[in-house]
Parts: sequence; structure tokens; C-alpha cells
Amino acid sequence: MPPKSTPIRGPEGARIGRRSVIAGGLATILLRPRAPANAAEAVSIGLNPLFLDSDIQLLSMLEAYLVARLGRPVQLVKRRTYQEITAMLLSGQLDAAWVCDDPYVQHEDQFALLAVPLYQHQPLYQTYVIVSEASKAQSFDDIRGSVHAFSDPDSTSGYLVTRYLLALRRTTPEQFFRTFFFTYGHRNVVRAVACGLAESGSMDGYVWDVMRTREPELINGTRVVYRSEELGFPPIVGLKSASDTELAKALSAAFKAMPSDPLGRDILTTLGLDGFTDAGPDLYRGTLEKWLVVKAQA
Amino acid sequence: MGPLVRIANWPLAWKVPLLAAGLMIGVAVLISQFVLSRLASDQESNLRLLTSAYLDGLSAAVLPAAQRADVWEAFDAIDRARSHYTGVNVRFAILALPNGKVLAASDPLTFPVQSAIPPEVDKRFPPQDGLFIDNKSGRAWLSRTLREEGFPIGRILAEIDISELLRVRRQVLLTLVAVNAALALGFAAIGSFALKRMLEPLSVFSGYMERVREGRADPIPGSKRRGLSREFDRLFDRFNAMARALNEREELASRLAEQEKYAVLGKLASGMAHEVNNPLGGLFNALDTLRRHGDDADVREATLNLLRRGLTHIRNVVRSTLVNYRRGEAQHSARAVDVDDLRLLIEPEASRKTIRLAWVNEIRGPLPVAGESVRQATLNLLINACAATPPGGIVRLQARATDNALVVDVGDQGPGLPEDRAEYLLGRSEERPAVGGGLGLWIVRRLVADEHGEIALVQESGLKTVIRVTWPFRGAPSQNAIVNDRPIEETIHAE
Repeated sequence: MPPKSTPIRGPEGARIGRRSVIAGGLATILLRPRAPANAAEAVSIGLNPLFLDSDIQLLSMLEAYLVARLGRPVQLVKRRTYQEITAMLLSGQLDAAWVCDDPYVQHEDQFALLAVPLYQHQPLYQTYVIVSEASKAQSFDDIRGSVHAFSDPDSTSGYLVTRYLLALRRTTPEQFFRTFFFTYGHRNVVRAVACGLAESGSMDGYVWDVMRTREPELINGTRVVYRSEELGFPPIVGLKSASDTELAKALSAAFKAMPSDPLGRDILTTLGLDGFTDAGPDLYRGTLEKWLVVKAQA
Repeated sequence: MGPLVRIANWPLAWKVPLLAAGLMIGVAVLISQFVLSRLASDQESNLRLLTSAYLDGLSAAVLPAAQRADVWEAFDAIDRARSHYTGVNVRFAILALPNGKVLAASDPLTFPVQSAIPPEVDKRFPPQDGLFIDNKSGRAWLSRTLREEGFPIGRILAEIDISELLRVRRQVLLTLVAVNAALALGFAAIGSFALKRMLEPLSVFSGYMERVREGRADPIPGSKRRGLSREFDRLFDRFNAMARALNEREELASRLAEQEKYAVLGKLASGMAHEVNNPLGGLFNALDTLRRHGDDADVREATLNLLRRGLTHIRNVVRSTLVNYRRGEAQHSARAVDVDDLRLLIEPEASRKTIRLAWVNEIRGPLPVAGESVRQATLNLLINACAATPPGGIVRLQARATDNALVVDVGDQGPGLPEDRAEYLLGRSEERPAVGGGLGLWIVRRLVADEHGEIALVQESGLKTVIRVTWPFRGAPSQNAIVNDRPIEETIHAE
């Protein structure tokens, strides 16, 4: 089933919000050497596919909100994979990025937490393992031998947690599943499982919950067979080297001020979030532990 | 041959509209065939273009996925292509890897990831890339091999539902059939109406021709000639001219007959005068004898007897003439005396030519035939017979009754009835012989026809010509060969 939004495929195959970053300058921005940020230059913020796919309006609102808050042009940059966003941030092509908690713990030494979303008033979320509604599976172990859809190799909920569960069982995806593939989007995991392309899938519980109210006809084709413990919500990060800059502070403040702004509240409503807060690295201990286990197995 | 003959006998008012409808149907079938063939060809061409465009787009979209064996990317591209190419009704599309396994399909439940393509599905696709159309099942199958640097890295297989195209084709066929049937019926109806209008003068013409056959040559009146085409106008002109000529001829013939009658009458009158004159001398002599020797009772008695016989003879002659020419009165039945009277009338002429009359009158009692007509026709035949028979010859009359007719034979020893007269008398020719003997024959023919009688020529030894007239009794069935005691040479109904 095609997504409800009408994304445009960029030169690199990335999915880009129409009103946000496609205005013609993306390639130029990415190719030219990055100069120090100043008041006249656009602020680049990377977004990963954590976002729901029906996000053109959301991106537009977010851009408008940030422009108003920062008083500077803003470019929202989307890429197909988490890895691309992480790489762009690490290479200084982005001023900030909304990344998954897995890349954060991997690069905790380089990333500074700017803001953490509050979902159901907590900066926490869960991993869901889902199966199709018609499946007989009732637990994680029942999905053995199935065709499995992961979201992204750098996604905690869409890969790491399942990978961790398999590591605990001293097995690997190749051994546990008949076959598996990546969809590079939590919503795509739902699509793949709902239409039968995959028999099971690993995804963000927050996305599944929000989709249950927004796209019930799609989500009703799936069922959750495993819920992980609560983990730190994917944060908005910047480079530690720039954490003391005015821009970093302004960005952090802008995200945290959303509940007090009408447009900000609209954005939060669209995202199904309550707001943004400050948080320390300890929030992501659970994620870190899992990553370490998986890394050890590899 | 039978049905063909029957069709050939159909009226034009049926045949032409049927022919028009038939031609329309023929043309319609040809046009429909052409249109449908063209439509099918265009549809196939469009389908080829559409499916080619679909494959082009899908190939470009799935090529990177095929290179990386990326299940989701392949599925996403196939799934999106389905909604983007609405002109191609894809039932399913599969991206197969070179090992024959499914990388992704539009219907993953039927074609799961990494499963082998079912053989019954695989065999539907021809080994060569391209489009294969099966109108029977309403499906088309297309395939294209994806290549990278010349090496196959996957193959797209898609089944297309072309039932909509076939439905359109059927709809066009039905529309063509309906329109053409309506046109054929319309043309047939218009043709029938137009032809009926066009043939109306022919029907009028036929009606008037029928009247001619019945003996009435009425010209076609102006009221029936309105709005005539030039051809029919000319035809009606000619018919009217013919009708006028016929009427004039009829009138002339009647007039000539009347004159002939008077000529015959004159001839008869002279004969009658002769008949009357013959006894007159004797009667005058008797009167003188009576005047001179009237005192002698024996002489007076003998003379008075002579006078009575003479006067009786004269009375008989006058009476028979009166009877023969009494017109406008209802005809009485024929009696023996009607035939015998004729002898009185013909005898003077026969005597004059020293012709012997062989008279056989076998009529007993009145017969239910028109006595006047019998007398007049027989007299004419006798006059002709006397005229034809050389001096010293025999003219024979025989009258007899059968069960249902009076048969009168008149024979002579003349040179024989000339062919034209015989043809005319027997009704085989309408060309009346030259005036002279023709009128007598015309009268005979007319009188016999009026009584539905028959005229025939028969052979009899010693006689050259024997004309036999059969007068059917009134109320008796039609007569045919009612005389069988003599061989019949030719018999025909007189007209």
C-alpha cells in the first residue's frame, strides 16, 4: 500500500519534505564546504525516518516554527538511512539531527543531547515486534523461521533490540529467520507485515501506537507479539564540539519551548508527543547495554 | 430450385426492401469486421505501448533493488508502479532473481519472498521477453529481463487483466450490431414504403389491364395519374391510347356487324321475297280460277286448299323471319322448330345454288339453351356453308341433344375453312379475318361465348368442313368433349 504522503525522491534517493529542503539548494549545500554558522546562513537539521511518513505538512510546520524561533533560515534534511544522517552530522554537514538512540550511544562521545521528546509525558518508548493479524505467532520465539522486516540497521527498535534478543538466544537473524530485509522506515515495516511481504517485523512502538489512531486500516493488519522494556526516546543531538554555541542553545530552547507556542503545539500534536526536555546520557543506558551485547556477538 | 422460384415470385415490394436490408447487413458485417479488427489492433498497440512504458518505469525503479537484492525497495517500486500506471491493470507483478526465486511481488501472500515461482505461473510467460496476449482468458503476460553490464540480474514478470479492453470491444460490437440492425431495418422500412409508393401506378395499371382482359378497355382517369413519374406517365398515355383504339375498334366492329346483319337481312329478304313470290303466281292463278270456276264446289274446294297452302307457306316464311330478328326480348328455350325454321330461310339460297340440304334435326322438346342465339349462330354458319359449297354440293346440318348440351354440326363441301378464319373462330387469334366473311364468324363467336359454349372443327367423311357448336344447357356444368360419337379434331372454349 503506498504511503498517504507524496514524497519526492531526491538525487540520492532520500525522501524529502517538499516545502522544506528541496527548494533547490540541497545538492549545493551538501557539496560545498561548510562555513561557520552565522546569522545569515541556514540552519541544517537532519531528520531520520523515525518520523511518520505523512510528514510533508509536519516538515513545513517544523521549518516555519524553527525559522520563527531562531530568526534564521532553516533547512530540514531527510535521508533514507540513519547512517546517512549520522554521517552528515559527524562530518559537520548538519548543525543538529534527530537521530535514533542507537547511533547516539554509538557516538555518545561526539554527540551532545540538545532535547529529548516526551512521549506520554516520559522521554521513553518501546520496541514492538509485530506479526500479521492472521499469524499464529503469540510470542517472540514464535516468529522463528519467518520472513522478517527490520526498519534500519542503526535503529534501536527496528533492529538493535531484536538483534539483542537473538544474541541472548545465541543466534543471528540469518539463523533465526528464514530471510530478512530492511525497509528503512517504521511505517514501511507495518506495510510489509500487513501486506504479507514479511511475516514479522521489528519497529518503534511509539510509531505503531500513533499509527493505530491515524491509519487504523493499515495497523489493523498487524499484531504486537513482543514489547521491550522502555528505552530512552530518540534524541535531538548536535556535535559536542558545538554544544556551547548560541545555535545549539537556541535549538535546544526552541524544541523545549514548543508546548508554549501555538505552532509548536500543532507540531507536537501531529507527532503525538507532549514536548521536549533535557536529559543526560543515563537515559540511554538500556540502549547502550544492548548495543554492547550485540557488538560483542559480532 | 423450388424455394428460389418462390423467392423469384415474391412481389417487388418485399424483394427490394429485403435486398436493401440484406445489402445493409452485408455492408454492416464488413464494416463491423473492419472496425473491430482495427479496434483490436489499436488496443493491442496501445496495450503494447502502455505495458512497455510500465516495464520501462518499473525496470528503472527496481534495477537498483535487483542489484542489491533489496526486498523492500523492489516491493515498494512494484507497489508504487501499480498506482502510477493506472492504464495497465496489473493483476500481479513479480521481480524474480536469476535463480528463479521471488525477490518481491505485488502480492506477497501468493508469491512470498524467496519462494520459487509456481510452475503453472511460470509457464504462462513466454521464454522471450515481450507481451503475450490471450484474448480467451482476458489476460496478457509481459516479461522483461533486467541486465547490468550485459548480465541478467533479475526478471520482471507481470500478468495484466485485459478484460476491460475486451469488454470495450464487446460493447463496440454490440453497438455496431444494434446500430446496423436499426439502420438495416430503417432502410428496409423506407425502401418498402418508397417502393410501395413507386409501384402504386403499376398496381393501378395492372387493375386497368385486368379490366381489358375482362373486355372493358377503360382509359386510366386523370385522378389516378397525379404525381406520376415520367416513365409511368408515358406508360399510362400509351395504355389510354390503346384503350381508345380498342374501344374504337369494338365500336367499328359492332357497327360493321350491324351492317352485315342488314346485308344478311337484305339477302334473306330477297330470298324471302322469292319464297313469297313463288306461291304468289299460283295464288293469283287460284284467285282467277276461283273467279271463273268458283261455282264448282270441287274446283272451289281445291282452289281454296291451294290458296291455304300458298298463304300458309308465306305465313311460315314471314313468321320465321320475324322470330329470327326479334331483338330485345327474353330468349326462349330452343325447340325443334327453331332449327327447322332455318331451313326455310336457307333453302332459297340453297336452291339458287342447287345445293342439297342434308337436314337431321333430332331435337325433341324444348332445350334449356338460348333459342335465339342458337338460331342466329346456326343461320350464320349455314349461310357461310352455302357460300363455300360449290353448286351441286351438300350442306349438312345435324342438331341433337346430349345429357347437358345441344350440339349443332354444320358441314359443307367447300374448299375448307381458311386458316385465319379457323384460328379466329376457335379463339386462337384475335385478328379478325377480312371483312366479308369475318363478321359472320365474329357474330358466331360472340354468341357462343355469351352462352359459354364451345366451337370445334371436326372431321366427317364426305364433308370438307364441319363446325361443331356445343350449347351447354343453362345451369349445367362446364362442357368438355360432351360429344363423343365422332372424333374431335380440335375443341376450344370460345371467347
